[in-house]
Amino acid sequence: MDGNRNTDEKASFWKKNSKTVPGRPSPKKDVKAAQRSKTTANTSFQDFQESVSDAWELDDDDFCVISDTKISKKVSESAALNVLNRHRNKTEGQSQIAGVSSDFPVDDEIEGFRSRFPGRPQPMKGSNINSNEDCESKLDRFQALLLDSPNINELCQLSWSGIPVKVRPITWRLLSGYLPVNLERRQGVLERKRKDYWSLVKQYYDTERDETYQDTYHQIHIDVPRMNPSIPLFQQNTVQRMFERILFIWAIRHPASGYVQGINDLVTPFYVVFLQENLPDSQPFETFKVDDLSKEQRDIIEADSFWCLSKFLDGIQDNYVFAQLGIQRKVNQLKELIQRVDNALHKHLIQHNVDYLQFSFRWLNNLLTRELPLRCTIRLWDTYLAESDSFALFQLYVCAAFLLHWREMLLRENDFQGLMILLQNLPTQKWTGSHISMMVAEAYRLKVIFADAPNHLQNNSGDS
Amino acid sequence: MCDLFKRELLFKVLVIGDFGVGKTSIIKRYAEGTFSTKYKITIGADFALKQIDWDSETRINIQLWDIAGHERFGYLTSVYYRYAVAAAIVFDLTRPDTFVAVSKWLNDLRDKVSLPHGKPLPVIILANKGDVAANKVPVQIEEFCKKNQIVSWYITSAKENRNIDSAMNRLILEALENQRNNNLYNSDSLMLAEEANSGTHNSSRLCCSR
Repeated sequence: MDGNRNTDEKASFWKKNSKTVPGRPSPKKDVKAAQRSKTTANTSFQDFQESVSDAWELDDDDFCVISDTKISKKVSESAALNVLNRHRNKTEGQSQIAGVSSDFPVDDEIEGFRSRFPGRPQPMKGSNINSNEDCESKLDRFQALLLDSPNINELCQLSWSGIPVKVRPITWRLLSGYLPVNLERRQGVLERKRKDYWSLVKQYYDTERDETYQDTYHQIHIDVPRMNPSIPLFQQNTVQRMFERILFIWAIRHPASGYVQGINDLVTPFYVVFLQENLPDSQPFETFKVDDLSKEQRDIIEADSFWCLSKFLDGIQDNYVFAQLGIQRKVNQLKELIQRVDNALHKHLIQHNVDYLQFSFRWLNNLLTRELPLRCTIRLWDTYLAESDSFALFQLYVCAAFLLHWREMLLRENDFQGLMILLQNLPTQKWTGSHISMMVAEAYRLKVIFADAPNHLQNNSGDS
Repeated sequence: MCDLFKRELLFKVLVIGDFGVGKTSIIKRYAEGTFSTKYKITIGADFALKQIDWDSETRINIQLWDIAGHERFGYLTSVYYRYAVAAAIVFDLTRPDTFVAVSKWLNDLRDKVSLPHGKPLPVIILANKGDVAANKVPVQIEEFCKKNQIVSWYITSAKENRNIDSAMNRLILEALENQRNNNLYNSDSLMLAEEANSGTHNSSRLCCSR
């Protein structure tokens, strides 16, 4: 069907990133540069814009640089109707859906979905995205909302498509349910929670540990230096001790799961965001010396990371209990979902003996942190946190969208080895926030199709 | 597959042992010839490939499975052990408890996988981090190997590239011998190779649904 089109798009996309402007670290920069000197780099920019075809929401870094993606309301509505009709006719055959789900969707489909399904973050400004205004207005909107005790639903809607750096720390605290919405209660709660954390540390970490705790401590101690070995920040002794304490206290407070490898990676986004709050705007966190902060600042970063992590993990604890039933279930659901939406890809994987568990286990256990650059993980967290209670399920659709994104490359691999090596080393190094925006949009589309029709994910295990 | 003079074999080899003993480093050293102190924690299992021309007639594709040592992931091992023909169990000379865990890993392996005719998998033991603690070899290791039919054991260092090739060659030799002895050239291992290349077998066998 539209397989060829996809192949072409993908091919040009990957080429553009690496070849057109050698030495540039990211397509985001391509765009900036292209805007600055339109005469020379115009083609490249246009290609890039086409290749990412949908940029209905961009993360804060990108707001100011992509402009004039206008979508006619009529087009968007008719496309959305098409998708809905296809969905309606699904009982007649799965292949109809498979045709459209092989790539990230184009704007109009998403616009259609977003306006038609209640309970979803609404479009910022109808269907007309004018980014220069949008950039400022998004930050303005956050700031306006945060000025008072915000409505949490509104905050979720605004955050789903990405949170500006400036307001990210406070927004994450609010979305996690750590910081009370009510302005008057905030200071008291923060002070109490931070104090609570440090008394836990005093009680369990700073004292002699009994044997079970000692094993946990020992493992965390060995794991922490291996978390992000290529980022200097995480090689600092002070930082490693902070992570040790966070993980250790979390583990002993959650005996049903205890410490599980991978949870360490889930602390990182919180830690970095709360650290960035203390850095001058342009300073990269990767090389920042945490010892330059005051003890008070460090203690706040650590305690807040701990509490936000705790809230975050509450929704997915069954991922980490004995036998990781939550993950096993999601691996099976992922398989069934892919079988439904992209049977060709599913058959390809099965035919070459690739077991979904072999690649998606890490995706689910570490919530894609190991597959994505840290900046993208942080953008993904905006959406996860905005999903609040539904994030456990949403994560499944994100994994599906992630897998589908690579379908053309995967279909070109003709043996088990090639498939496994690709699946374990997917080339996301140059991804930016807009890739994540597209991925979560596709995930949302899948969720809308399947979550409201649970039968789509059932009674299907027989024909794999 | 096109080379008429060569027979091409596929061996699935497992590398197991407690967390942080250096399994990933050993595999990277063996498969890619490199060493780094910056390997991340293995989640679930990682996969690597090494191709060797064993002799003028035999090319071997070795699928190396780097199985995470974390206890919580233990329920996964049976999935990853399937169709393996050999295994290396790694421990860390600087951490005596990781040698104690060798017998735990061996039992797990013996419980969950064997060769097509019921024979146990050939196993070697790698006493890793020999660059820092070569003098800390547990005294019981010789006896342990004899008692548990371990093919051989080696002091290795992934960092200094010590003994890794020879240990792995020994293991591969054992896997080859098993094939010859059982006259299995037309059977399972080769079949696995063909399956991996042609993908014409019954796909339900490897589904993860239980």
